[in-house]
Amino acid sequence: MNGDILFINLTDGLSWVENRRELVERFIGGSGLAINLLNEYCPDGVDPFAPENPIVLASGPFIGLYPVCSKTIAMFKSPLTGNLGESHAGGRLGVAIRLAGYEAIVIIGASSKLVWLDIGDNGEVKINSASSLKKMSSLSTIMALDEPSPCGIRSTAAIGPAGENFVYYANVLVDGYNFFGRTGLGAVMGAKNLKAIRITGCGEISVKSLDAYKRMFEKIYDDVVKSGKMRKYHDLGTPQNVLTLNKIKALPTMNFKLGYFEYADQISGEYFADNLLIRKNTCPLCPIGCKHVAILRSFFADEHEVESLEVGYDYEPIYALGSNLGVGNSMDVLKLRAVCDRYGLDAMMTGTMLAWATEAYEKGLIGLDETIVEPKWGDVEKYIEMIKHIITMPNEFYLSMAQGRPYKNLGEEFLVAIGGNGLAGYHTGLAFIIGTAIGARHSHLSNAGYSLDQKLLGFTIDPVNAVEILLKEEAWRCILESCGVCLFARDIYDKHTVLEALNVIGFSHDVESLEKIGRITYGLKYKFKFKEGFRFQNLKIPKRIFETATANGVISPEDVKKALTVAEAKIKEIVNEATVQ
Amino acid sequence: MPIKLIVKNQDRCMNCATCVFVCSRELRSVLSVKYSAIRISRSGLGFKVTVCSGCEEPDCASACPYEVLKPRSGGGVELLNPEKCENCEDRPCLNACSLKALQWDDERKRPIICIECGVCAKFCPHEVLYYGEEV
Repeated sequence: MNGDILFINLTDGLSWVENRRELVERFIGGSGLAINLLNEYCPDGVDPFAPENPIVLASGPFIGLYPVCSKTIAMFKSPLTGNLGESHAGGRLGVAIRLAGYEAIVIIGASSKLVWLDIGDNGEVKINSASSLKKMSSLSTIMALDEPSPCGIRSTAAIGPAGENFVYYANVLVDGYNFFGRTGLGAVMGAKNLKAIRITGCGEISVKSLDAYKRMFEKIYDDVVKSGKMRKYHDLGTPQNVLTLNKIKALPTMNFKLGYFEYADQISGEYFADNLLIRKNTCPLCPIGCKHVAILRSFFADEHEVESLEVGYDYEPIYALGSNLGVGNSMDVLKLRAVCDRYGLDAMMTGTMLAWATEAYEKGLIGLDETIVEPKWGDVEKYIEMIKHIITMPNEFYLSMAQGRPYKNLGEEFLVAIGGNGLAGYHTGLAFIIGTAIGARHSHLSNAGYSLDQKLLGFTIDPVNAVEILLKEEAWRCILESCGVCLFARDIYDKHTVLEALNVIGFSHDVESLEKIGRITYGLKYKFKFKEGFRFQNLKIPKRIFETATANGVISPEDVKKALTVAEAKIKEIVNEATVQ
Repeated sequence: MPIKLIVKNQDRCMNCATCVFVCSRELRSVLSVKYSAIRISRSGLGFKVTVCSGCEEPDCASACPYEVLKPRSGGGVELLNPEKCENCEDRPCLNACSLKALQWDDERKRPIICIECGVCAKFCPHEVLYYGEEV
C-alpha cells in the first residue's frame, strides 16, 4: 500500500494527491477507507445533489493480488435513502485505480457543463467535454471511451439518461457488465455533470515477500476452482435462486402478494442457462465467471429483420422485473432488463416502483391521468412505456416514481422498500427483514438475513438472537469489503485466510484487531447515517411484508419491533466505540 | 515433441487476466500489465489472448540487427545479449511479429519475451492457454 488518495474538484478543475497511509494501514481500504473519507469530506446535512456531496471510490489491497477480489466501493450521500449511499461494483475499476497508484479517488465539486474524467498514472487528470455523449446510454458511452490501453488496465464507469435526469436510483455501468447499483450514484454523478470516469493504470503492484504471496495465491486459487464452494456462481449463477426460493415459497411475486410464481420454471436459472446463455463474463483475477450473459433476439420487421443484444442476467433483476411484475417469460425479462440498462436505471428499484404502481392502479388509487399507460401484471410493452416516462418525468406521478416514493403517499403500505431502498427478492422470513432494516445500506448483502432464514427453515428464531448474529455478520462483511473480496467468495475468505492473506502483503493484524476494525467501520457508517438524520423510529416496514406468508411463516410486527429496539441500542454502542477510537 | 505454450481454446477466454498478472510476476516480480508477455483484447463476442507462438523460425529474431534475440531450441526466442539492445526507434523486432506478440519493456529498454515457463497456463481456468506437448 502507498496510501495515496487522488482528489479531483470538478468545480475548478484542480486535482491533487494526499497521502493517508496511516488511515489505510488501520482501515485496510475499500469500505473502511471510504467511510472515513466520506465522514471527513461530506458536509453535515448536504443536499445529495449539491456540488459538496463527495463521491468516494475506494479500491482494496486484495484487488489485483488475490483471486475473486475486485469490488470497488463507492460512498456518497444517497438521494434515495437520504443518508449513506454505498454501492459496490466489480469489473476492472479497482485494479485500474491501484495500477494508477491510488488507494481511492475522491471527487468533489460540480462542472458547469457535461464532462468526462480521464485519469492516468502520476496524478494525470484531464477533464474533457462530454457534449457528444449527452443522453447516450451508459453502454454506448463506455464503448466510445474504452479503447484498450497498451500498457495497463483501463476501466470506464458511465451513467445513462437516468443519471443525467437525476432519477434517484440511477446506476453507474462499469466496463459494460458491472454496476454500481442501488442507492443512486448515477444521479449524484449526473448532478455533478459527470458523464463518465475513465481510469488507466499502467503501474505495478509489488509485494514484500513474493514467495509467500505466491503460495497464498495458489492456495486460494485452488480452493476457488477445486473445492466446489463457488459452484453455484460458476454454474447457473445467482439465478439458481429462482427455483430454490420458489420451492420454499419465498420468491416475491406480483409485488410480494405471493411467495410463489407459477411460471418460475420459465424464468429460472436452469431455463436461461439451457436456452439463452451465450457466455460468462468475469472480473480480473476471478476464474468463476458469475456474470451470465444471454442473447436477446428481436425481429423488428418482416423478412426476418433481426437485431441482437447481449443482456446480462442475475437473480435480482429476474425477481424484480420477472416474478414481482408477473412476467413469466424469459425473453420478456431480458427485454425489461435491457431497457433499464439502456437508460441506466437500477433494475431492482425500477421493479419495486413498477410493482407498486401496478397494484395502486389495480386498486383504483391512481388512474390513467397519472400512469398515462395502463400497468398490468406481465404486460411488458406497457412497462417499457412506463420506464421511458420514469426517465422523462412528464407529470407529478412520474416525478415521484423517479424519486422512489409513493405518489401522494398513496398505497405506501405496499411500496416494498425499507429505508428508501427497494427490497431484494427474498421473502424468506424475519431475519431478512431485520437484516435489511439494520443493514447500513439497507441491502440484503449487508448481513445476509436471507441466508440465515434459509438455514433456519422451519425453526423460529428469537428476534434478539437474530440481531446478534446479523450485527456480527455485518461487521465481518465490513472487513471483506475493505479488502476488496467479492461476497460471493465469502466461504473462501474465512477469518484465518483473510488474516494470513493480509499479513503476507504487509499488513499487521490479528483476529481481534480485525474484528474491531470491522465493528468500527460499521459504526462509522451508522455515525454518518445518524448525522444525516436517520432514525430508527422513522424506519417504516411496509405492511405488505407482514401480510404475505414467508418461507418461515407470517412475520410478526412485534418481533420486528423488538429486534429494532435491541438493534438500535447495540448500534449506538458500536457508534460510540467508533467515535472514541 | 517439445513442450510448448499454445492457445488451445481461444473462445473460452473470459478475460480474467490471471495469466497476464502471473506472467509479470514471473518476469519482473510485480503484478502489472506492462511487464507481462501476454495481452488480452476484445474480439467479436469474446476475447483474444495474444502470447508468443514459440516459432521455429522466429521473425522477431531475424529482424533484430544486433543479435539480441536468439532462436531457442524447441521454438521461441531467448534474450541473448540484452545489453546490446539499441532501443531501436522503429522497433523492428516487435513489428516483425505478425501476431504482435512481442511486448516492449519501457523501463529496461528491451523486448519482453515469453520464457515458456507455463505458469500462465497453470492458472487458466478454461484451458485457453495450454502448456504441454503440441497437439
